Amino acid sequence: MTGPARLGYAINQWKPNFDDFTRREQHVRALKVIAACGFTGVELRAGTGRWDPLGRPASIAANYGSAAAFTDLLRQIGVEAVCSWYFDPAEPVGEELSPGRSVLEGGQHRAIAESVKPFAEFLAAAGGSRLVVRPLPSAWQTGELSADAIAIAAQGWNQVGAATAGLGVTISLHVDCLSSAADAKTLDALLEATDPALVGLTLDTAELTLAGLDPVAVYQRHRDRVDHVHLKDTRHVDEAGERQRPHAEAAMLLAGGDRGVERWFYECGTPGGLVDFPALLAALRADGYSGWLVFESDQTPNPARSVMLNGWYARHMLPGLSKDLLLS
Amino acid sequence: MGNLRWSYMDHWRADTPRGPMTQYGSRRLMDDFVKQISAVGFDGLDMFDFQIYGLTQMFGSIEKYQEYLQDHGISKIVNLFRGIMYDPRVADPHVRETHDEIVESTRQMLGMWEGLQIENLIVMPASLYADTAPVTADKVKAAAECWNRVGEASAGFGVRTTGHHEFFCAIRTEEDILRFYDWTDPRYVSFFCDTAQHCIAGIDPVALYEQLHDRCSGFHFKDTREVDTTGAFANRPDAELMAPQTARWFYEMGTEGGLVDFPRLMRALKEHEFTGWITVEHDKANIGGDYAESTALSMWYAKHVLREIYS
Repeated sequence: MTGPARLGYAINQWKPNFDDFTRREQHVRALKVIAACGFTGVELRAGTGRWDPLGRPASIAANYGSAAAFTDLLRQIGVEAVCSWYFDPAEPVGEELSPGRSVLEGGQHRAIAESVKPFAEFLAAAGGSRLVVRPLPSAWQTGELSADAIAIAAQGWNQVGAATAGLGVTISLHVDCLSSAADAKTLDALLEATDPALVGLTLDTAELTLAGLDPVAVYQRHRDRVDHVHLKDTRHVDEAGERQRPHAEAAMLLAGGDRGVERWFYECGTPGGLVDFPALLAALRADGYSGWLVFESDQTPNPARSVMLNGWYARHMLPGLSKDLLLS
Repeated sequence: MGNLRWSYMDHWRADTPRGPMTQYGSRRLMDDFVKQISAVGFDGLDMFDFQIYGLTQMFGSIEKYQEYLQDHGISKIVNLFRGIMYDPRVADPHVRETHDEIVESTRQMLGMWEGLQIENLIVMPASLYADTAPVTADKVKAAAECWNRVGEASAGFGVRTTGHHEFFCAIRTEEDILRFYDWTDPRYVSFFCDTAQHCIAGIDPVALYEQLHDRCSGFHFKDTREVDTTGAFANRPDAELMAPQTARWFYEMGTEGGLVDFPRLMRALKEHEFTGWITVEHDKANIGGDYAESTALSMWYAKHVLREIYS
């Protein structure tokens, strides 16, 4: 028996630096590895500039001839869809002469909504349905957010969701370990203030765990809002609150923080992994989860190895969850 | 089940904080290795025969190791590659005085593997070209006599002895390969077709398979981007890693610029109704590459290109 969920892989792990992963043959090799391991979708990550040829629909068209040519190539390789695209509105977009935008400023909502439209159009044509967004800036930058600030952000995401809904693309809030949304009270308030028809929740197992949240508990509390899942593991919890210190992106995530952690994120099933995948997968299975399960392994020293280990995990630990498990 | 099953020939290296290591170095590396080859669709595993020593230490017995493989999605150990360092003073197929040693040491080795159902014992049927030259008919005949004896012994274990002709092996030309099989007993000696090795030696592996298909007991599917145009096969002390022509002879099948015509080979397998195991190999993939990626790319090619032709 197999369920309706689909299996995808996030391509972000192949591009640890802005000048990595620029050539088409590198993309083809990565996509073949993804397909060989049984994944049928790929999640892209938004980026800017000539060295990010998969960062924007226009960049894909410039490098592959057209969006359709790229999706044709994907399908020839065995990847059926660009299932989702990750987008952080605060990141600069050179093509739009934007230094980055804040969802906490109401005056920038329209520009964010305009900015995501090409992504949604691309996803709709490429078999995807989720624009995975960073819902709030880093906690060390915002401090504790007021109810008014959360309400403004919620309005922004509702507006962005309304801009993509007509294309069949939902905005899905992805809570990473540094985000001010990685706090139960803030997350609950943000979800409460957003329109469930337009805005869903991406459950990222390792990011939540690292931030000190239990992803199973978050799922159980918001199961009706979870419309996308990122599966990865971690061996660490930020018990010292390093995520809230200045420049945590560099000091904690890149440099390893006070403990000198070499690698924050691991493949599912890693020895010493803290995520309770059996409990989460049982809950997803019981609910008949029908979205994408996107495996990730950012910070891996060897992308192919990580895809293969996650492929083994999917094949052996997820029976009954996805029809893709019959295809490989 | 289809006509073909896919096995992986182990030359694996993993990057670790201590540098590149094989999976025989730790149970954690072994777990990762087995999961990775299983994830891309391999069903069997080939290895060197001497790995039994490390595996017995790690798992208690070779039978327990195979059970462990089965628990992780790999159904069996399929083929063994005989690891003999040829030396004319001790063991060298063209030196008749050393045949007793080759037969007896092989019999002892197969005895250690007796609890499994090994299909092929793969052997390099002669020493290095550089150590054997000039290659004469009598030396080829001596090697044929050696492997007839080994093959008869291995048949007693239910294992076929099969010849694998490295491009730097003394029996490397089409003429010598064909007369080697003329002079060996089909009951006891089979042909194992390594696509890249023949290609490097300037032989079309598909044409060779066509000629020897009734003797063929298996394949190493691997690719190359180079034909030996410099006499590298005779390079002393080594041709495989030390010849000036290239630092890397072998690539995963489907590689850009690959010289092996795998689709044509698959059509030949289909025509001759070959059934059984195909072994994928890409030794030395870590030279400018990576074993994990080469392994996944190989099976992508098998699933998306070759399976369409014959499976």
